[in-house]
Amino acid sequence: MKDFEYIEPSTLKEATQLLFDRAGKAQVLAGGVHLVPKMRKGEIKLECLVNIQKIPGLDYVKPDGKRGLKFGAMAKLRSMEISKTVQSDYPVLYEAIHQITSVQAKYMGTAVGNLCVATPASDVATALMALGAQLKIAGARRERTEPIEKFYPGYHRTSLKRGEMVAGVFLPKSRPGTGTSFLNLVRTHSDIAKISVAVAVTLEDSICREARIAIGGAAPTVLRAGKAEALLKGQKMTPLVIREAAEIGAAETRPITDLRSTAEYRKEMARVLVRRALEKAMEKAEA
Amino acid sequence: MKKEIANFRINGRSYEVIITPNLTLSELLRDQLNLTGTKHACQVGQCGSCTVLVEGRPTLACSTLAIAVRDKEILTIEGLSRGGWLHPLQQAFIDHGAIQCGFCTPGMILMAKAFLDENLHPTRELVKEALGGNLCRCTGYVKIIDAVMGAAEAMRKGGN
Repeated sequence: MKDFEYIEPSTLKEATQLLFDRAGKAQVLAGGVHLVPKMRKGEIKLECLVNIQKIPGLDYVKPDGKRGLKFGAMAKLRSMEISKTVQSDYPVLYEAIHQITSVQAKYMGTAVGNLCVATPASDVATALMALGAQLKIAGARRERTEPIEKFYPGYHRTSLKRGEMVAGVFLPKSRPGTGTSFLNLVRTHSDIAKISVAVAVTLEDSICREARIAIGGAAPTVLRAGKAEALLKGQKMTPLVIREAAEIGAAETRPITDLRSTAEYRKEMARVLVRRALEKAMEKAEA
Repeated sequence: MKKEIANFRINGRSYEVIITPNLTLSELLRDQLNLTGTKHACQVGQCGSCTVLVEGRPTLACSTLAIAVRDKEILTIEGLSRGGWLHPLQQAFIDHGAIQCGFCTPGMILMAKAFLDENLHPTRELVKEALGGNLCRCTGYVKIIDAVMGAAEAMRKGGN
């Protein structure tokens, strides 16, 4: 592995100042499961590594009053997977985390790190997008909050600016009458998914008040199927309407062909998974 | 390249080692300390054969920078037996014939230890899930799962 300067800041302020001063040359080390192998292979080059593991107060998963749930930049995927609150109140997030990678990688890796890798195939990002996650971004100059769908301007890119890092994530509690579901297609769970879909549907008197449809692995970024969501809003979710929404949702994807799947297959499966996910979420919303 | 003297706590012993930041934990263990029970295999965190325990948590040594785990309690396969007595997991792997080439075994056993430390009443399904990140190319896993179930029973009876 190439040599680099290694720094362990003890505060968020110190970390963001370092990222500001060494812009373009420094990177954050959280769990390291993505970064360290990439550094060894020379696929990620950096001059300065900012290890945030020693900063107090970043390793938490906890209720944010009655408003929802929050977790910090150092919250491990494993802590989130075994969190009773995540399991009971955010089953979509639990399901997404439960079926990915190995136990070891989940003990090491953080959910925020997973988001910051900015792969379009992130099951975690797909789940969090359906749940309306808000990212708390710390900066050398100021703090800001950003909805997760604004966080991905392009393939493997984030909206983080000079001196910024994600300090934590807030997940709002879902409104009464909301049902959610997560589905994906994989050859093996140790590999990333071919395609993933997470949805949240809020019903009132059998009418869809709000739908959030997130699709991973089918475009340069995880995306929200906004047109399909708009179609559902204010409608009774009949089988016909769900089918139509699934068609429109699939049309919003821009998949590629790679070793895991062809673009055609991904598009077709986007349609199938969106339909099934909507059906499942609707059932849960009605229950 | 900036070298520094770092202190490591491995298998209950203290080590002072001159390291550079780009040294991984698996390189430290194998190349500097001659603790070669921890294996280098895929080196990208996919196979589990470099699994060690850091503060009791299963950790992929190939994907961990040594400098980041200074002063933490590290357990490798070399530190598992006590006073010449094998850990129940080690004994169970022998008794159940869960070893062929042995390359995956240290990682398997340490992952299984972390798992059994949390749950001494596992099901076979849970063992499979826990060991999902440890690849074995010889045995087909059945005997490994048998061994972990057997070790859990031995440990319930107070083996360790």
